[in-house]
Parts: sequence; structure tokens; C-alpha cells
Amino acid sequence: MKSFFRMSYPYILWIAIFIVAPMIMLLLYAVSRPGNNVLTLQFTLQNFTDFFSDPTYMRVLGSSLLIAFATTALCLLIGYPAALFIAHLPERIQTLMVLLLTLPMWINTLLKTYAWQGILDFAPDLTSWIKVMIGMVYDFLPFMIIQIHTAIAKLDRELITAAHDLGANRVKTFLKVTLPLSVPGIISGITLVFLPAVSSFVIPKLLGGGDYYLIGNLIETCFITWGNWNFGSAISLIMALIIIASMWFTKKIDRNAEEA
Amino acid sequence: MNRKKPFLARFSSWYLILILLFTYLPIGYLVLFSFNSGKMRTSFQGFSLRWYEKMFGDRTMLESIKYTIIVAVIATVVATVVGTITAIGLSKSKRLIRSIILETNNLPVMNPDIVTAIGMMLLFLTANVKQGLVTMILSHITFCTPYVILTIMPKLRQLDDNVAEAAMDLGATPFQALTKVILPQIYPAVFSGALIAFSMSFDDFVISFFTSGEGINNISMYVYSMKRYNLSVNALSTLIVVVVTIILILANLIPYIKGKKTQKEDI
Amino acid sequence: MNNHLNPKKLIALLLLVCLSVLPLSGLADGEVLNVYNWGEYIDMQVIYDFEKEFNVRVNYTNFSSNEELYTKLMSNVSYDIIIPSDYMIERLIRENMLQPIDKGIVTNLDQLTDGVKNLSFDPDNTYSVPYLWQTVGFVYDTTKIDPEIAEEKGWEIFRTPEYEGKVYMYDSERDAFMIALKALGYSANTESDEEIQAAYEWLREMDKTVHPAYVTDEVIDAMANGKKWLALVYSGDGAYILSENEDMGFCNPKEGTNIAVDSMVIPANAANPELANQFINYILAYENSVRISEEVGYASANAQALEELSSEDGAYAGNSAYVPRAGYEKDEMFHDNEIMRKQLSELWIKVKLHE
Repeated sequence: MKSFFRMSYPYILWIAIFIVAPMIMLLLYAVSRPGNNVLTLQFTLQNFTDFFSDPTYMRVLGSSLLIAFATTALCLLIGYPAALFIAHLPERIQTLMVLLLTLPMWINTLLKTYAWQGILDFAPDLTSWIKVMIGMVYDFLPFMIIQIHTAIAKLDRELITAAHDLGANRVKTFLKVTLPLSVPGIISGITLVFLPAVSSFVIPKLLGGGDYYLIGNLIETCFITWGNWNFGSAISLIMALIIIASMWFTKKIDRNAEEA
Repeated sequence: MNRKKPFLARFSSWYLILILLFTYLPIGYLVLFSFNSGKMRTSFQGFSLRWYEKMFGDRTMLESIKYTIIVAVIATVVATVVGTITAIGLSKSKRLIRSIILETNNLPVMNPDIVTAIGMMLLFLTANVKQGLVTMILSHITFCTPYVILTIMPKLRQLDDNVAEAAMDLGATPFQALTKVILPQIYPAVFSGALIAFSMSFDDFVISFFTSGEGINNISMYVYSMKRYNLSVNALSTLIVVVVTIILILANLIPYIKGKKTQKEDI
Repeated sequence: MNNHLNPKKLIALLLLVCLSVLPLSGLADGEVLNVYNWGEYIDMQVIYDFEKEFNVRVNYTNFSSNEELYTKLMSNVSYDIIIPSDYMIERLIRENMLQPIDKGIVTNLDQLTDGVKNLSFDPDNTYSVPYLWQTVGFVYDTTKIDPEIAEEKGWEIFRTPEYEGKVYMYDSERDAFMIALKALGYSANTESDEEIQAAYEWLREMDKTVHPAYVTDEVIDAMANGKKWLALVYSGDGAYILSENEDMGFCNPKEGTNIAVDSMVIPANAANPELANQFINYILAYENSVRISEEVGYASANAQALEELSSEDGAYAGNSAYVPRAGYEKDEMFHDNEIMRKQLSELWIKVKLHE
């Protein structure tokens, strides 16, 4: 089977050039100040200290995390029951429902967000927090529903019938069988929603009316308005690290849950 | 026991109907107002095709559609081919190497797209590569391929290795084992991988924004840069909704029809 | 067995798909001109006519801020024509990123209106040819706000408690700080820390008093539809708003404001400078300038066009926002200043975060 492994060589080269090299560039920019080039690099952590020591930037980071948490929580609250109910539908209708729910995913996020902008114009008195949440949840809900639905649908029907046979009522069956076994789905759903939500800036910008200044906006401002690519790279790296750490963390939970 | 059932059944039906309504509200709105004879987003004044006329007369918009499709098609084809052979190659490799490659492969998926975008822009800058259509295609391939690999890997793990080995023991070349044994079995996953890659490329804004150049816009970039929103964007959206619906119907009907065909052949 | 695709056929098919799609991109199709301009800042028919007359293709794309333009220029792209604002041109000249205009080709230079002649950043039009110009002012609903009061209050109108929730503020740090500095009697180009800090305090007060909505170009349609009472706008957008909504009025405050000129320039790395010069000359000509200005609402740099559109039977007759206030000593053009830029940016984030 060694010959098969050779098939992955082209992509490994691709990864080296287009994934690893850019991250290295990002790192180099992040640890230097404007005006340096590759040869005269002066290593410094000032970009990082500047970021963490400024309360305004910490507030921006906090807002992003808050919006991401809220979006994830809402998606979970709304999406779990939806996934559960769908899983109990007859199979043909299930496929149809899944199809219907995933159709909007193929349409540009930007276009959908402009649609909400138009719709929300009919209700100008809503606070911008609600408007942003509507936009965010709308964009991410299908991901959550699909992940949980896949996990629940895969459950062995036998387990549920067995639980019933042993005398458990519907609620107990749900709590002790369905829910715990659907946890992997919940975790993937949370991952697929929280991580992109943290760095979202387009939806809050279009729906929030300038009220929400988030990490994504900050990075955009760094690069475009300030031209401080070093600081921007540092913040980008910090974001990447936060996300990688969260992923590693959720993987650990997943593994522990499986072992249990 | 019996009284609970109808309640739950009714509640779940209503719940799902509400979710569907929520899901299709913006889409319905987009479509409805694409036919507005007025130009306001908040008052419907009658039916008219003026926005479709405007859209087809707007060269910059049409070009953005063209470039979006070009980039998406090329990126999807390359990502699917490379992704598939890589996934197969990786499934036969040692665990350590496979983990390292997969972890790195996941970076564009996990990273916020602005980080990927900036990274690629810095790369092109340092390598003194002029930005334009080519750099945009390269970056799209970069963020699409991981999704293809991620979609195919689980399916590969489910495969019975022995079949391919048996085929080769019986005299098949590795290439034949690949195309006649492995590929047909993972075909559905390859197909979904391709669809996902296409939709990610089609939808992309941030990465395209930072990696394209000199007059190359995709749909998202064009809409974002519009100074004054006008309803031709609704016309464009409606068109996309129609095309996507057709593609999804076809994508689901074809396996169904194929299934029926093989049934007939079996008979 | 017959269901399995012949691998060679498959590869051939895929290559065919890729290759068939590529020619559509129109690469290598004859002479091309890459133009990078503000959004909704031209009459596209002028572009199409230029293409026909010169038998070329124009790649026309948009940017939404001078800084975005600058970032794009930094990242290895080549445009033939870009249309930045005055302070950005100042910076580009200083950083040697532009090439001189060929005055042998751009013969229409004598058609410039007085208000855009002898600009401080390029007095002899060595590098730049004015395109459209404007001032920053505010539009207001005359049925809700008395014009006399508007004229009297000047920029302080933005801190009137009675207008709470009825105000749009442009999400542009430069313009916001400009009105604060002007309201306090300082220069919009000040480098003094105290003055900038004072301006920041002014803006904080404004934010607390009227809770404005921070918007960008959505403000144009919003005010054309009378959604709020007061908005900071550029005079060209003001002209459009006034032409769409007769309840609206426009004011250039007495404390002075920013006067700005957007000009056509040719980047040093332009691929086709000769065609670029011809484009500039074409645009500057009366018959094209007048179409552009009429479509967009901003004041033309061409004297005849400006005259005609503001005259009695012109499209903008009686429109107080169309012709920019020129020659008012308190009006200033922005200068490029790196230190100030950074400070303003950081402080502006704080204002928007309501700190």
C-alpha cells in the first residue's frame, strides 16, 4: 500500500507552500514592528503586549466572545429540539426537511444578510443587539441542526426500544439514552458555530449599525485603515491560537465523553 | 401515554414549521422585492422586471458573476481531484504522518477566514506575485481542498481494506484498484465534498477580497463594494436561489434514478 | 463493469471543463485599462463610450475608502487609473507611487473650474487631474429643524439633546474629528495632543447626547426617505438627497468644514500609461464631465459642466448642496499625517464603543 501514499505528495507540497508558509509569514510580521523586512528582523513581543494591555482592545475581544457565545447558545437551544423532532419524522420527510434547511446554506451569506437588512428596516426600533443576533443565528443555525440531527439519526433504534422495554418513559429515555449519545453531535455543532462566530465581522457590521466593533473589524481596520500589518498579524495569530486551543479543548472533552 | 403523543406531535410540527418559516423569510423577501416596480426596500409597489433588466445591463455585476463561476469551477475541480487522491493516499499511511498532515490540513478550516486571507496576501507580497485572477484561484483551492479531504476521510475509514488488497492479489494494478474498487465505493462522499467545495468558493468574501486584484471581483466583493444598495442585488439573489434549487433537486434525483436503473438491471 | 468511468476519459473531461471556462475570463483580449474608482462615482455609459471610441476594454472596479485603495496598492496589484482624495494623493506623491501626467495628451486641462485650480498638494497638475469635488456638511429635515436654527448652530447641532435618536453620523474618523475640531475652533489638521483630546471629548459628549447611528452610505437612501432628522453627508450625496426629497435642506456650517477634491492619477506601475492619459483627457472633456456630474450629484471639475448644471435650467438648479462653498477661509483640505492618523483611529474606536 506504500504506492498509495505517494498520491498525497502533491498536496503535501501544496500545504507547505500555501498553508504553512503563510502562517510563518504571519508569525514573522507579528513578532516585528513596521519597517522591518525579513533580513533585518528585530524580534519583539510589543504587538502582543500592546494588544493585551489596552482595555479598549480587550473590550473588543470580549464583545466578540460574547457574541459568539450568545450565537452558539441560541443555535443550540433552537437547533436541538429541531434536530430531535426531525429525527422522529418518517424517513422520506426527514430527507426533505434536511434538504430544505440546507438550501439557504448555498446562497451567499452577504446576500442573505442584506436581505435581513431590508427586512429589519420594517422594524427600526429593534435594538441592534437583536438585529445582529437574528443575522448570526440565521447564518449558523443550519450547521448546528445538521450536526445534531446526524448524531441522533445514527442512534441505534434498538437502544431506544430496549430502554422502553426496560420500563423507561419517554422523558427518561431521552435524558438517559438519546441526549448523552447525541453529545458528539452537540460538540461538532458547537465547534462549527462558535469558532467562525468569534471572528465574524461582516454580519455585525451590516446589521449592527456601527454599534459592534469586533475582533474581525479590528483586524480589518489594522490592515486597511491603519496599514499596521504587524499589529494586525499579531491579532490574527492570537485569534488563530484561541481557536486552535478551543478545538483541542473540545476534542479532549469528546474523547473523555467517549471513554466514559 | 396516549394523550401525550398528539401534543408532542403537534408541538413538533409547529416548531418545525416555524423554523422553516424563519429559514425562508429572507429568501422570500429577496425574491418578492426583486420584482418590485419601485426602488425601495420597504414598500412593494407592484410587479416589474426592471431590476432583472438592470442586472443584465450592469457589466460589472455580470463580470463578477462570471469570475465567481470561473473561480468556483476551477477550484472545485482541482480541490476534488487533489483532495480525493490525497485522502486515499493518507488513509494508507502511517498514523503519525497522517495526523500531522491532517492537522495542518485543518488550519484553513479552523482559522478565521480573515487570518487565512491575510496569510495568503502576505505570501503573495513576499514572493512578489502580482495579485489577480490566478492568486484568487490559488487561494480558493487552498481553502476548498481541506473540506473535500474532511468529507472523504470518514468514508474511507469505513471501507474494507481487504477488497482492494484482494483485487491487487488477483492481478489488478494499483491504478485499477484505485479506480475500479476504491473510487466507486467512496463516490457519494467525493460528490458531497465537491458540492461543499463549490459552495464555499461561491460564498467567499473575505479571502477573495484580500487575494484578488486589478478589476477581478466576485459576487460577494461586488455586492459589498456597492455604495448604494439597489434591488438588482435582489434579482441576482433570486437567480442564485433558482439555480441552487435546480442543482439540489438534480443532485438528489440522480442517485435516486441511478438506484432505480441498477434495480432494473438487476432484474 | 460498464458503469465505471474510464479514468483517462474522466481526466480528459475534467481538463476540458477547466479549459473551457478559462477563455471566458477574457484574458489577453486586446488593450485593457484597469480603472479603480469610488463606488457609484461615474456614469457607466461614459466608460462604454470610451471603450467604443478607443477600441479597448476597461476593467472598472470600486473601493470604498482611500485607505482601502492604499492597502490594495501595497499588495502588488497594477492599476492604470486610480481616483483618490487629496490627502491620499499627497501621500502617494511623497512615496513616489505616481507617475507624471502627460500634458501633451491631456490637453483639456484648461477646462478646470477655479475651485480646483492650484491645489496645495499638486499646484501645477503634475500628477493629478481633478475629477469631482465636494464639501462635508449636513442635511436636515426642514420640517423638523428650522433652517435658521441650523445655520446658527453650526456643528453644535449634532449635540442637541432634542434630536436624540434622530441623528446619523458618518462612520469616518477623519470627518467626525474634523467637525469636532472645527466646532472647537481648531484646525482640522492639528497635531496638538490637547486639541485632539478635546475633540475626542466633544465627540464623546455627542455620542452620549444624541446616540447617533454610525453609518456609511446607507445614509443616502435613508435621508432621501426622511428616516431621521439630521445626518453628516458629503455635498454630492447631499445634492442627491435634496433632489429626491424636497423637505431636506443642506448646510455648510459657519465654523468651517472640509473641502475635498478627488483627482485622477496614474500609478507608477501602471501597465498602460498612454491609454491612461487618454482616459483622463476624455473624462475631463465637457461632454463627459457633465454626464458624470449629473448622474452622481457631485460637483464637476470641468468649469462649463459645473456652470451648466447649477444654472437656472440645469439639473441641480437651486440645489444648495451641489456647488461646493469655495474660498471660505475657514474651510480646509485634509493633509496627510501619519501620527494623527493613528491617534484618531484609536480614539474613534473608543467613541464608537461609547467609552
